[in-house]
Amino acid sequence: MTIFTPEATLGPFYPGVFALEQMPHDLSRVTPILAHRPQGRPIRVSGRFLDALGMPVPSLIVEFWQANAHGRYRHPLDQSGRPLDPQFDGFARVRTDDDGAYTFATIMPGARGARAPHLRLTIFASGIDRLVTQIFFDEEPLNETDPVLCAVKDPDVRRRLVAKKTGDAEFTLDIVMRGHNETPFFDDWAR
Amino acid sequence: MTNRVLPVVHNDRESEARTPSQPLLILPSEARDAFDPMPVLPPVSPREADLTRIAPGRPRASGDAIVVTGRILDEDRRPVRRSVLEIWNANTRGRYSHIRDLANPAPLDPNFYGFGRATTDDDGVYRIRTIKPGPYIARTDIGWWRPPHVHFSLLGGGVRLVTQMYFPNEPLNEKDYIHMTVPADERSRTIASAVQPDVFQFDLVVRGRFQNFV
Ligand SMILES: [Fe+2]
Repeated sequence: MTIFTPEATLGPFYPGVFALEQMPHDLSRVTPILAHRPQGRPIRVSGRFLDALGMPVPSLIVEFWQANAHGRYRHPLDQSGRPLDPQFDGFARVRTDDDGAYTFATIMPGARGARAPHLRLTIFASGIDRLVTQIFFDEEPLNETDPVLCAVKDPDVRRRLVAKKTGDAEFTLDIVMRGHNETPFFDDWAR
Repeated sequence: MTNRVLPVVHNDRESEARTPSQPLLILPSEARDAFDPMPVLPPVSPREADLTRIAPGRPRASGDAIVVTGRILDEDRRPVRRSVLEIWNANTRGRYSHIRDLANPAPLDPNFYGFGRATTDDDGVYRIRTIKPGPYIARTDIGWWRPPHVHFSLLGGGVRLVTQMYFPNEPLNEKDYIHMTVPADERSRTIASAVQPDVFQFDLVVRGRFQNFV
């Protein structure tokens, strides 16, 4: 049997330079003043990360991974035949500010078979090991049948994974790590 | 299959406030058969793997210069190639260069920032040079000292892992609440071996490669 390397917390002193300078953080454009753009509808998703006491969680790292506007992942195992977008890779790293707030500018991910448009989140912070969850979008018809959303039986809990539409291209969702209104998290190791 | 409940680290207020209380949800099988993030990562300069000098030609940081090297394998014992390793550690006196490490009275070292990056090669091997970190006090009120350790974050090549590497024969290892959260029979997996006095080998085996959900 293989013994895996145990995970651990990022701790309080994760170098900001890794989060702020060396990884993509805005997927809605390629680079300033370049006419090339990713295909699809630009959106912004924002909100706050909160702890059991309702306090903001600053300096939290959240990594997003998503399909492009056609529902295609830039991954060698994606054999769906959907088109790649040369201007879209689908990975971003965002850090919360002192108020625990995050903002992620991207394009609306495409639907993919039974899967509703969604963002995959991997979350790191001082005090926790890696957490994973997914964010869905208000008013998407496929939300009703999406297998991950449907795996959350309680409709009140399910709503905690659906970002609210607050403008033409604006969505908002708070992530509660523990306690009242706790966000559901998933186990991506379970087989 | 029982749903995992994540452990809370004793005496760690952030862990108590931030660790989900509910069992993790099992993903439905139709959403489980796909892949981990495989980001296109910005290139890493080989110079970033040497933490002992903040720039070429600058004085070496104080303390004991060490090499940390090892091999990263997946659960099928295949090398994890072209994965980006981010590493960070305190200086020889136990102080981080992080702006938030305020309570720590230990001095900054002007020649040590304490973070760097490396990429794994075709055999999954990485190699970094750093300064052996000192221990530091995490909570003065209960006298909790963190043993010397190096933080690792691994991204790309189909894996995602954040962990901490400890040093062998450090008495503080067994008193550290974070280290003690690791089950006893897995603890040796987080302790490097000294292959030479100044060379530490730390191999990693990562779970979940290509087994993540869509
Ligand atoms: Fe640390």
